[in-house]
Amino acid sequence: MTGPLFPQGGPNMGQPAPRYEGRAKVTGEARYPSDVRLPRTAHACLHLSRIGRGTIRGFDLTAARAVHGVIDILTHETVGDAIRQTPAIYQGGYTSDSLLPLGSAEIAHWGQPIAMVVAETYEAAREAAQRIVVTTAPHPSPAVDINAPGAETRALEPMMVQAGDFDAAYAAGPIRIDARYTTPAQHQNPMELFATQCVWEGDRLTVHEPSQYVNSVKFGLAEQLGVPADNIRVISTHVGGAFGAKGFLTQRTALVAIAARRLGRPVKLVATREQGFTVSGYRAETRQHVQLAATRDGRLTALRHEGWELTSRADTVAMGGASMTTRLYACPNILGRVNTVAADRSTPGFMRAPGEVPYGFALETALDELADRLGMDPVELRRVNDTQTEPVGGLPYTSRSLMRCFDVAAATFGWSGRSPRPGSMREGDWLIGWGCASAYYPAQAGNSAARVRLTADGTAHVASAGHELGQGMTTMMAQVAAEELGVPLERVTVSLGDSDLPPAVVNGGSAGTASVASAIMIACDAIRARLGVPRDAPYAALRAAVAASGLAFVEELGEARAHGRSPESLPDMYRGRALPLGGVELPDRVQFAMGAQFVELRIHRWTREIRVRRAVGAFAAGRIINPRTSHSQLLGGMIWGIGSALHEHTDIDQRNAAYTNANLADYLVPVHADISEIQAILVSEEDRLVNQAGVKGVGEIGVVGVAAAISNAVFHATGRRLRDLPIKLEHLL
Amino acid sequence: MTEVRFTVNGTAQCVEVEPRLTLADMLREECGLTGTHLGCEHGVCGACTVLMDGLPVRSCLVFGVQAEGAEIRTVEGLAAADGTLNVLQRAFQAQHGLQCGFCTPGFLMLATWLLEQKEGVDEARLREVLASNLCRCTGYQNILAAVRVAAQEIRVWREG
Ligand code: FES
Ligand code: FES
Repeated sequence: MTGPLFPQGGPNMGQPAPRYEGRAKVTGEARYPSDVRLPRTAHACLHLSRIGRGTIRGFDLTAARAVHGVIDILTHETVGDAIRQTPAIYQGGYTSDSLLPLGSAEIAHWGQPIAMVVAETYEAAREAAQRIVVTTAPHPSPAVDINAPGAETRALEPMMVQAGDFDAAYAAGPIRIDARYTTPAQHQNPMELFATQCVWEGDRLTVHEPSQYVNSVKFGLAEQLGVPADNIRVISTHVGGAFGAKGFLTQRTALVAIAARRLGRPVKLVATREQGFTVSGYRAETRQHVQLAATRDGRLTALRHEGWELTSRADTVAMGGASMTTRLYACPNILGRVNTVAADRSTPGFMRAPGEVPYGFALETALDELADRLGMDPVELRRVNDTQTEPVGGLPYTSRSLMRCFDVAAATFGWSGRSPRPGSMREGDWLIGWGCASAYYPAQAGNSAARVRLTADGTAHVASAGHELGQGMTTMMAQVAAEELGVPLERVTVSLGDSDLPPAVVNGGSAGTASVASAIMIACDAIRARLGVPRDAPYAALRAAVAASGLAFVEELGEARAHGRSPESLPDMYRGRALPLGGVELPDRVQFAMGAQFVELRIHRWTREIRVRRAVGAFAAGRIINPRTSHSQLLGGMIWGIGSALHEHTDIDQRNAAYTNANLADYLVPVHADISEIQAILVSEEDRLVNQAGVKGVGEIGVVGVAAAISNAVFHATGRRLRDLPIKLEHLL
Repeated sequence: MTEVRFTVNGTAQCVEVEPRLTLADMLREECGLTGTHLGCEHGVCGACTVLMDGLPVRSCLVFGVQAEGAEIRTVEGLAAADGTLNVLQRAFQAQHGLQCGFCTPGFLMLATWLLEQKEGVDEARLREVLASNLCRCTGYQNILAAVRVAAQEIRVWREG
């Protein structure tokens, strides 16, 4: 019988404890927000714009109203000013875009919600939504994508990164690379659909919604509805995957809340898979320009990375990945620039490794081009340019184990057996390609709180409004409390995903574990201090101390402040404004998790079919609290990387910016058949500086660099350099 | 409204539904069995997989009225009455074949069917069958491992 694939532990790693909520998930007992059954629920269905940018001239709701069971239809005419204009997160607010839900007759983009039907059954609501007749005046030539003539380009000066004199150094460079790359629009497509249920009891509102940040929903909704935030509770116990799509308050929630208030009964909305493509943000398409200069022995002398990112007209959103690609390797002359290109599209947002996937693809492919030009092994090129000092500001990395990752992954992969000449490795009719790239992700944290209660019977309870997105937050919370207090793991219970609990950071930016673990550690310290029990005291001593205290339980709140945040920032987390900070944004240091990705693929000589045969990734991310869940996150990430390179792209209709593959049949994501052998290796690393917990986070780094490793492997197999994602067989004909 | 009689996990059910109601929604809304999840509602993701008269079906593509007289099995019926997990459920837990768990009921029901086939299962068959469902979290490796281990435990695994 084979053992599990995940590691059983190692230096600076905790136990691979089984998933806390695993039982609930294999029995069907886990209740996701759309599973919550509220008596007398009415069902809602959205009607989305079927034109691109334009104006609504009028609605004919006769046929829709005639559907048996229809109760209410919301449009901009009925909602009017019931929802207040509030700032988006990019302006310091809460919402994921700044369009007012059903706010006016103006349509900003295809797929914008323009009406919502509420009916006795979902079927009736859906039928009626389809029977809504809208008269519209479409804009004659909406800007549909990043290359559209009508799209507006804007340089984001604050995102400029500069060191030395790039122009002079590049001009003088003995070896130069100058290349342009593109990455497509992509959608997170978590398996769970975007659901919202709202129920009012008097003036108190409860929202059941899958979320990465219940407090963003709570405080944003309070602003939108003009209701005290104390009256709103947001519950999100289980989330069926998120990947950035459930990070912030979207337009749908206020609509459901208003409908429930109008009707005086619970209202449930589950957006369809197609609607989900514009209900939340997505990964915007990019164009990128990389210029490198190097000495003949491979030392970088100049590095320039400029990106153009699509955004909406309403919001200027940029992931700004050049701030990181300019800080990965030693180089004296650096220039990084970021631009937005505003088009008539919905506002993009965060998708797993939002800035790192596109910018990492460009830089790591450019480095491979340089290695090829130099006749140098691409691993050795990274080694020559490895550094313990960040090149722009001269700051130290809190820790950096890039080359250890390369060495471990290369050895496991068997990289030394590579024959470097493109097209030189073959098996029958298959061309074999081996490629590699660096992975990196900023180690971040946000202010977070957690409450820990130790009861006289020797059990402990941990509570924090973190989220179980599948990443293993619940298990991690139990483990940290068990370890800190010395309570057996099976005696620890956890509450999360509820805005009534002590607030936590938005569970994005791979910051959840670092932030919440730190808060739990502080709470446990306080408990031990109160009981006068030293660290590492046996469980029996801890129990005896609680008994001696005469208290039924001892409870403490831990509040962890992220490095780089001021003491005055702490109250912000009680207002839904706990955002991650770290990476390259700190004045005194740089924090990265790092890794190395290796890919072997095969390209058929005649059909050009591309198959990934194996992938090996090695990652160093500080302390690993649970190797089982961390390993799984990395594996899942690597498969996302394969998808980002070979499968995933959202197709845009050139007439109206409609997404023409907004379903899971046409938006391709990898399945079992696309994945052969894949290995994620946890490289042990200790970082006492990065945060109290010593954790860097593994939620996103697994994706980063895979696309470059694949494009580099394609080059190795064929001698063709493909700089536009996704790579498809027709590009190799 | 149409009356539909069927069994779910061995329990007789009689519900009145509109003919356009899907089996998935009938199970979720009428029977309160929310373990069957909907990930796409167009037959691609397999999250909604249940067994109908012993065969895996995508319950988002079957109408409730088509279940007339059928035996339906869902994820809620896998564990023993006393709550003991069955071999597949244990394997998913032990091999970490799930993260968010949203796809899990569908994979469990698909694998339940696969392991009940008398010809047994080998690596190629395992991958072929499991490729019909989507998981966005795990990277699939642990799901394959879980089903493999369960198949070995009940001796239907074939090497080669
Ligand atoms: S919900 Fe039925 S196949 Fe996706
Ligand atoms: S575990 Fe999340 S979709 Fe499979």
